[in-house]
Amino acid sequence: MDILPNLLMPLTHLDLLALIAAGTFAGIYVGAIPGLSVTMAVSILISFTFSWDVYPALALMIGIYMGGVYGGSRTAILLNIPGAPSAIATALDGFPLAQKGRAGEAIGIVTVVSFIGGFIGIFALAGLAPVLSDFALRFQPRDFMLLAIMGILLVGSLSGGSLTKGVFAGALGIGIGAVGMDPLTVQDRFVFGLDELRGGISFVAVMIGMFGVSEALMQLHNVHTPAVRQKIDGIVPSWAKVRKHLPLGLQSSAIGTVVGALPGTGGDIASLMAYDQAKRVTRNPETPFGEGAVEGLVAPEAANNAAVGGAFIPMMTLGIPGDAVTAIMIGALFIHGLNPGPMLMIEQPNMFWFIVGSLALANCFMLLFGLTGIRLFVKVVELPRTILLPVILVLSIVGAYAINNSLTDVYWMLGFGVLGYFMRLYGYPLAPVILGVILSRLLDDNWRRAIISTREDFGAMLMGIFTSPLSLTLLLAVVMILVTNSPWWARWRGR
Amino acid sequence: MDPKPTRRPGELAFTIFLAAASLGLLWSAYGIAGFEALSSPGAVPMATTAIMVVSALVVLFETLRRPAGRIQTLRRDILPPAVIVTIAMIALYALLLRPLGFIPTSLLFLTAMIWFLSRRGLLFCLGVAFGTVLLIWLIFRMVFSVLMPPGIVPEGRIVAFLMSLF
Repeated sequence: MDILPNLLMPLTHLDLLALIAAGTFAGIYVGAIPGLSVTMAVSILISFTFSWDVYPALALMIGIYMGGVYGGSRTAILLNIPGAPSAIATALDGFPLAQKGRAGEAIGIVTVVSFIGGFIGIFALAGLAPVLSDFALRFQPRDFMLLAIMGILLVGSLSGGSLTKGVFAGALGIGIGAVGMDPLTVQDRFVFGLDELRGGISFVAVMIGMFGVSEALMQLHNVHTPAVRQKIDGIVPSWAKVRKHLPLGLQSSAIGTVVGALPGTGGDIASLMAYDQAKRVTRNPETPFGEGAVEGLVAPEAANNAAVGGAFIPMMTLGIPGDAVTAIMIGALFIHGLNPGPMLMIEQPNMFWFIVGSLALANCFMLLFGLTGIRLFVKVVELPRTILLPVILVLSIVGAYAINNSLTDVYWMLGFGVLGYFMRLYGYPLAPVILGVILSRLLDDNWRRAIISTREDFGAMLMGIFTSPLSLTLLLAVVMILVTNSPWWARWRGR
Repeated sequence: MDPKPTRRPGELAFTIFLAAASLGLLWSAYGIAGFEALSSPGAVPMATTAIMVVSALVVLFETLRRPAGRIQTLRRDILPPAVIVTIAMIALYALLLRPLGFIPTSLLFLTAMIWFLSRRGLLFCLGVAFGTVLLIWLIFRMVFSVLMPPGIVPEGRIVAFLMSLF
């Protein structure tokens, strides 16, 4: 297999090049505008691009993903409103810097370290994924099952709220994914006599509802928040400044890549961990953390962009999403008839190298668009939400309808939008629902394979887990997540 | 000392709803294949709905232990009129999409929503709605080739006319 032609494919095909550029450009704005999120944009986009060839569809989505993760930092710095969850830590020092009239400097350094972090993550993906996929071939069905459970629990526990609510959300997602005819026995599951449910619930409708509609409904609570104007100049940072922060940037990128590669985590957790680490290792910052420390910008931004490449590692090697956006990407690959996992890496390595090339190109476009066009950017960000939110809703409805040209999907979208709205209000994380929907089939298939291979003997399956070092490690990880999130653990730690 | 966490308005009702729905789903999952076999099509649905029931009951127990908050109200903090109107408008949009078509329905929806949220002049709202619908239609119909219900608008003829220009 020739790696280079596939790696350079996005560069040699003008249409793909243009789509990555357009995606990155749009992603920066999507990530930056409060109320719009990358997850929302990619889930709406799937419904419009599913009739496309897989390469252009992926090119556009990768551009939006890369641009969006970076774009979230813009409003975090300018308005103290993180455009994306991965930019929460950026606001802590970014906004104080902007208040001191140094918004341009903050945006400049963030752009450069995001670019560096992005490339570290991509290098890790290119270097580690082929090795990991070879290793993943040794996975037994029970290992895939445990890995899926671990991913859902991790995202549930790290979403900030209660683990019980995270577990409920994950189980709900698996249940939604099971609706329809069982693919093995053609038996109805959760159909309630409705023919519309036999084909299952479109996960795109669930995603648009949960991430698009529910987010728009939440934004209605503060629709009249006035836009804050900032003066921005001198964006391109000096080489001396970049060199000064390079060691911290590289360290944070490594954190971002590792955390991003854990199934179910993502840029938001990576950036918070990198910020925390930066606080510990920076002995004498010019400005204290929380008051405008440049180190407080470098660490989270290098980490969250490195996490993009990292999140693709479990997605490509195991078929387990690294975060909510890669969960949606897995959905997109399914729609295009591809099955992410070790076999995809072996049977279609061209797809893998195309993704690596597209990510690298999107990262370059991010640097280019990040350091230019700031005037236009400020204008777009000031777009009132009273106009923006109805437009998002129209796009969500059109997106849901376009999946199957069916109004049923629009009603599902609305139903899940309302459910997602209440779940958000009462502290239930939504990412485990989506992860559950995506991983439902994998979990179900592998559970049945595992139990059939032991002739329905649950004890024998447990013995298999305890005697295999890999299965045992995964089981221990699942137990650890549950134990460390329990109230008993908190009480024990508090003593 | 931190003040004791309180219950948000409607939280108890929502938690009871989730617990009841989980129980209903568990019953439905049991109906798929009962306890026939561990590899039956109902095994994973039963396990997941059982987890839903247990976790919903734990959340219900935790919710019941917290006192009801007095600062927030259902009307202002949970279901403000803007949210109720928006949900109703989306449902209305879905109902009208087929008979009226994408362009008129979106135009009506956007005009009404922008007016309702911004309270700007009707002409301004109509202008913004028209420009937005035109842009969305051009991008999604012409670039993404997404077919939306034409309804009362002769969309086919418009597309043919536009194509003849190039």
